Order: sequence, then C-alpha cells, then structure tokens
Amino acid sequence: MSLIIVSADDFKQGDEISQKVAGALGYRYLGRDLLHYVATENHVSEDELARALDEAPGLLTRRARRQRLLGLIEAACLNVLLDDNVVCFGLATHMYVRAVSHALKVRIINEPEQRAAALAEAGGLSVDKARKQVLRQTKEERRWSEEVYNLDQTDASLYDMVISLGTLELDKAVEIISDTVGYRKFQPMTYSRKLMQDKALAAGVRLKLMEQFPDIRVEANDGTVVVFIQSLKKDQRKKQELVRQIAGELPGVRHVEVHIIRDLVGQAAQSSR
Amino acid sequence: MSGNLQVLLLDDEPIVGRRLKPALAKIGCEVDVFEDPELALAKMAQKEYDVVVTDIRMDQIDGMQVLEFVRERWPRSKVIMITGYAMMSLAREAMEKGAFDFIAKPFKPDDLRRVIAKAAHALGSDIDFEAVEVEKANG
Repeated sequence: MSLIIVSADDFKQGDEISQKVAGALGYRYLGRDLLHYVATENHVSEDELARALDEAPGLLTRRARRQRLLGLIEAACLNVLLDDNVVCFGLATHMYVRAVSHALKVRIINEPEQRAAALAEAGGLSVDKARKQVLRQTKEERRWSEEVYNLDQTDASLYDMVISLGTLELDKAVEIISDTVGYRKFQPMTYSRKLMQDKALAAGVRLKLMEQFPDIRVEANDGTVVVFIQSLKKDQRKKQELVRQIAGELPGVRHVEVHIIRDLVGQAAQSSR
Repeated sequence: MSGNLQVLLLDDEPIVGRRLKPALAKIGCEVDVFEDPELALAKMAQKEYDVVVTDIRMDQIDGMQVLEFVRERWPRSKVIMITGYAMMSLAREAMEKGAFDFIAKPFKPDDLRRVIAKAAHALGSDIDFEAVEVEKANG
C-alpha cells in the first residue's frame, strides 16, 4: 500500500488528523518522535532538530549546521518510508518526496480567523494578539520553505489534495484521506519504489559528504551516484578523488560521478589577491 | 492458467525485444515480440496473453491506448508499462487505467523478470525466480 504525507498550517490539527488516519488504516505513524531517534543516533540536540524544522533561518543562523540537521532528519525519514503503509507528519517530508507517485501529499488548512480563535482560547490571548501571531506563523512558514527548499510550502500545487477545516470537520478530513489513498494511482509500483530507494541512497550519501563539503547536491539512480560540488579549479582533482573515495565506501553505491560547479565567487576572490 | 506464461512484448525499438525475449524465456515465458503497435493490437484482438509488456511512447498508437485496449478486451491480462519518459503524472495515469506495474527505462532484465513473476503469481501461477537466479550464478 501507499504513503500519506501530511502538511498543515496548524501543527496540532495536522498531527491529530495524521494519527487518526494512521489508526483508521492500520498504518504506522511517523511524526516528531523520529527526532528523538535522530538526536540519539547522531549526538545532537532534539530541540535543535525541531528548531531547524520550525524556524526560518535568521541572520545569525549557521547555514551549514542547519543543512546538516535537516539532512539527518531527511535521511532517517526516507529510510522509514522505504516501507509502505506509513502516515508521515511534521518532518518536512512533503518537500522531498514530491515526485514519488505512491505518496499521497495532503495539505490541511484552516481559516486564519478560526486559527486565531483557537489560539486565543488555548493561550489566553486576546483575539487581536492571536490574529497577529497566526499571521506571523504563516509568514514564517513560507519563509522557512523558501529559504530551505526554494519552494513555498503553502502553494497548493505541491499537494494532491488540500483540505480546509474551515469547511470540513476534522473527522471528515480523516475519512476523505483514508478513502483517497485507496485509489489505484497511489499504489506503489516498481518505478516509484525505485525512486524512493534512489532518494534514500542520495540522502545518505549527501549526509556523509556534508561532513566535509557542506554545500553539495547528490542524485542517485540504481546505485550510480552523481555528486555536484563547488570547487576552485586548482582543488578540483583533489575534491573529486575524495568524494569518490567517501561515497564509494557507502553501502548501495556502485559508481560515483563527480560534477564540478565552478566556484566563481571563490575564483574571483583568489584572482584579486 | 495452463502451460507456459504467454507474454506479448511491444516496443518500437528492436533492441528491447531482442534483449528481453531470451531473458523472459529463461523463466518459462513464451514471448511474442512486436515493434509495430498496430500489428500487436491485431494479434491481441485474437489472442489472450497472460502478460502484455508495452512501451508507452510510440508513433501512431501509444502505450496508454494499448493498455486501454487490453483492459477492455482481456480484463484478466496483466499489463506492464515501460518507458524512458517516466514521471509521476504518467505513472499515476497508467495505474489508474489498470496497469499492473510501471517500470522506468533503463532497467535490467531481472527487474522485468521480477515483475513478470509477480504478475504470474497474481494469475495463480508461480514462477520459480530463485531457481533462475541459482542457474545464473552457476553459469
């Protein structure tokens, strides 16, 4: 069976719907609990992982560190998603499984007024303050996805289905998602399973290489790994060899290709010295 | 289903049929290879195949039309789509129209053999894929 990837503008509602869908279908639920596992396995703080997922990068954010934290989450998440029958929420998965046909991508939205009212009630805020907070959260969410993945995660075209809780009850949303995932078009096939395996392999290789090369892009296809890396001309050969050596030792990698992207900024800085 | 698995393989690139026919014969399939979709459809109008493997992008008649034809004429047959232009929308369309599986080119003969074995199982006839693996390993 399939995967269900849920994203929501209200964390609590998205989490509740995802857990209910998982319960209704007998699927595994994959949510923020994964962060505890990732933190323990990699000796990083769980809070820091959560901040990387929730907060848009600020002026003082260390970009490489943040990329690595998100890389850890992505690699762990993709490894779980190699199995079928999973409902995933709160791990930014909708940003990196977009092309996978057996992943039903769902966005849950709510009317800003309703969100503000709920927030005001839960947090003992005035409705006016709650409105401002909702507006701030929406902007933050958009900025986060644009800065990290170069996509606006509030864009409906990223999803197979957008459900408004302003129109539908929460339990109805659960029912609709559970029914929709049964459509044949969301069933796994050789092509989509392979795509998921390629993504998991690429994420693992990228993570390993990021220890030495923070700004790196990796693609994988059936054990062949293509690495895109920035380099000055004079360092090109050394970097290529190192990438081949590191990536070549990882399980599942049969062949490594390294593509150099000219580091024009570095090149200019060097020639002006 | 009795006897060998009857397979029709349709791809307008001759190399595909030449390469895959012997690979499928090794797991006990009887394979008819076609490069022309019209001839393939004419054959399928008369004969029910257990499995139809078809390329998607071909001149005149594309693989989706072949899929629709087979689903209507022989609902029991399993149709496997292969394509060098795989993308999510096409894959979903094929599954929605009743394809048994969808494979992106290039693929290894073993990939197709595995899917054929799955199709045979779904038809109630198991192919001993492991035995083929052992035979291959022993040369």
